[in-house]
Amino acid sequence: MKIGIPRALSYYDYYPFWHGFFSELGIELVLSDKTTKKLVSAGSSLVVSETCLPVKVYAGHVLNLLDKGIDVIYSPSIQSIAPKIYNCSKLRGLPDLIRNVVNKNFLLIEPTLDKSEPKQGFYQYLYESVAPLGITNKKLIKKASKAGWECMNNFTLMTRSGVDVPTAMRNAINGKISLVSTQKEGMVKVAVISHGYNIYDEQVSMKMFKKLKQLDIEAYTAYNLTTEQMEQGIRNLDTLLYWANEHEMTGAAGYYLKDNNIDGLITLTAFGCGPDSLMIERITRYAKRFNKPLLNLTTDEHTGEAGFVTRIEAFTDMLIRKKRTSIVNSLKKQVPKKEEEKKLVGVE
Amino acid sequence: MKIAFPHMGKLYIALGTAIEILGGEVVVPPYNNKRTLELGSLNSPEAVCFPYKLVLGNYMEAIENGAEAVLMIDSPGICRLGQYSTSLRTTLTDLGYDVKFINFDLYKGKLKELYIKFKEATGNANPITLIRAINMALLKIKILDDVDRVLAYYRARELKEGDADKRYFRGLGEIEAALGYKEALKAKNNTIKYIKSTPIDKNKEIVTIDLVGEVYVVLDQFSNLDIEKELGRLGVHVNRQINLSDWVQASIMPSVLRFGKTHEEKARSSARSFLKRDVGGDAIESIGDVALAGKHHSADGVVHLLPFTCMPEIVAQNILPNVRCKEDIPVLSLVLDEHMGRAGYITRLEAFVDLLKRRKRVEPKVHSLSTAII
Repeated sequence: MKIGIPRALSYYDYYPFWHGFFSELGIELVLSDKTTKKLVSAGSSLVVSETCLPVKVYAGHVLNLLDKGIDVIYSPSIQSIAPKIYNCSKLRGLPDLIRNVVNKNFLLIEPTLDKSEPKQGFYQYLYESVAPLGITNKKLIKKASKAGWECMNNFTLMTRSGVDVPTAMRNAINGKISLVSTQKEGMVKVAVISHGYNIYDEQVSMKMFKKLKQLDIEAYTAYNLTTEQMEQGIRNLDTLLYWANEHEMTGAAGYYLKDNNIDGLITLTAFGCGPDSLMIERITRYAKRFNKPLLNLTTDEHTGEAGFVTRIEAFTDMLIRKKRTSIVNSLKKQVPKKEEEKKLVGVE
Repeated sequence: MKIAFPHMGKLYIALGTAIEILGGEVVVPPYNNKRTLELGSLNSPEAVCFPYKLVLGNYMEAIENGAEAVLMIDSPGICRLGQYSTSLRTTLTDLGYDVKFINFDLYKGKLKELYIKFKEATGNANPITLIRAINMALLKIKILDDVDRVLAYYRARELKEGDADKRYFRGLGEIEAALGYKEALKAKNNTIKYIKSTPIDKNKEIVTIDLVGEVYVVLDQFSNLDIEKELGRLGVHVNRQINLSDWVQASIMPSVLRFGKTHEEKARSSARSFLKRDVGGDAIESIGDVALAGKHHSADGVVHLLPFTCMPEIVAQNILPNVRCKEDIPVLSLVLDEHMGRAGYITRLEAFVDLLKRRKRVEPKVHSLSTAII
């Protein structure tokens, strides 16, 4: 049996789990192709123009799967991850949205995870995931979920050690673990603050990591942090957890803003993102208070690559200059002392 | 302590009375206008929703007028509204305003929170006065909704443009000034009497439009460019589906004090075949209302209002074309933001109303339910 998973949104956060879980149950997963411009415009034509970019991309991936001949699509609705900690409306209603805008004949598996409701917990979510496929044995599901967690934990272990997400994803799926022991240190260290589905989608982020690497900039993301560190970050910005995906934004930003090893922050927002608008506002205001350089980037389906690159280059140039000045200044502080000593010697 | 609160339609009439009864001093900021919006959008993130900008503008104007404390509600589990207060507080601090923030955090039990925060705002600890104040506010909200319903009938049929509105505003002053139950009910009857004295053409060709959407823009005349009046001018009987009383019932009233089903619960069942889960905000109500209007033929068409980048309503806007096809009812979605041009807006409304009139002449589906309201 084959089910299709769109390579968008929650894929970047939960795919290793789904892989372990479904493989254990003998279900084959089919991924959609990587995002292309054509795919995005196909998705955009389905939904109204005010919809945010990630959802347009998601709709495009669903179409891609249907074009491939897959007629069972897995589209979960992650309502809340803890009591009263809700997700964005568009992610909560994602399966409903897809069901209403895609006018084709297909089976949509739409499990709901809602930890604010006592009866919509994690096992109910897993049950709803496979019940439409005829698997209702709860013992079997529990066993499969263990396999899913094993795969997911390997993935988390790798990303936290500094392995980049695409490699970690590939290794986790193949059952391998690779850790980076020594990292080549870049000239300047930058934290990229965004949701996984924005930065790791090469079409949306326009291969940002590659560009940063070319500029000899070392990039850090929320995937390199532990949950505790991100919770500390949220406290650093004097706020409480409100959104289900706030850890990777406010949390990571709060942590990196106070981290002296990091020279600057780049935030990447998709156009029309609701939660981001207020989270970025908070991050911007606190970056001023903490005196940390910050670059806000917004992308949509019309963003030109040239302008994007220019802004990143200008920002990193500024960071390099700032770092050089601070090094020179710290040296200067030592140099005059020596000159004064010489002068004193000369007078004698 | 002088207390201010943001505008939301005519909420200021009810909330102002409640605070006055409790012995607090109210500073009502000027009703939303261009300056409010300018102040607000200058100091808020670009992509934040429209009401946020207006609320921030309200606060800034209220503080200029001498407010020392501002009220805000945090409503659980819906949309960005829950983050308004923390974000607004940071912004006001950064702008250098020194103001007390009284935040109704409805995450923690409603009844207790209402008591504690009203006590903090007004210094009045007497629970009986508090109950009287809340009751009075609820009564006024109900009166305002009732009067609006009568107004919609006369506005669509009046002989001279603006006649009914003139009479309505005369009564509104009386409602605003009333402090007791009897006084308020008398003011209500007077207002209805004034409006009913408008000369009307009973046989005018009328179309009925349901107004649905995000509660703030539906109620706020500034952000929706007074859509009800504009539609009334075009000979449309507007049934506003989402009222101040529905909003108060759903988000402020404790569930023990509620009677009957809320508007949301009713809408939820009719929206079920399109939207299975709650996505926050008023999305489920919007879809449910459209589906109901189509099923019962209670309206010729629906106008759906939403602020720019509103998350729940975008989900609704995406789903509505499907509802429109399945239930066979015309829907016009209008997105509102600070760049809204009046001329283009009116043209779209006129075109929509023309379409409805033509459609009605070909096959009249809607039975005149308007008479039932009066």
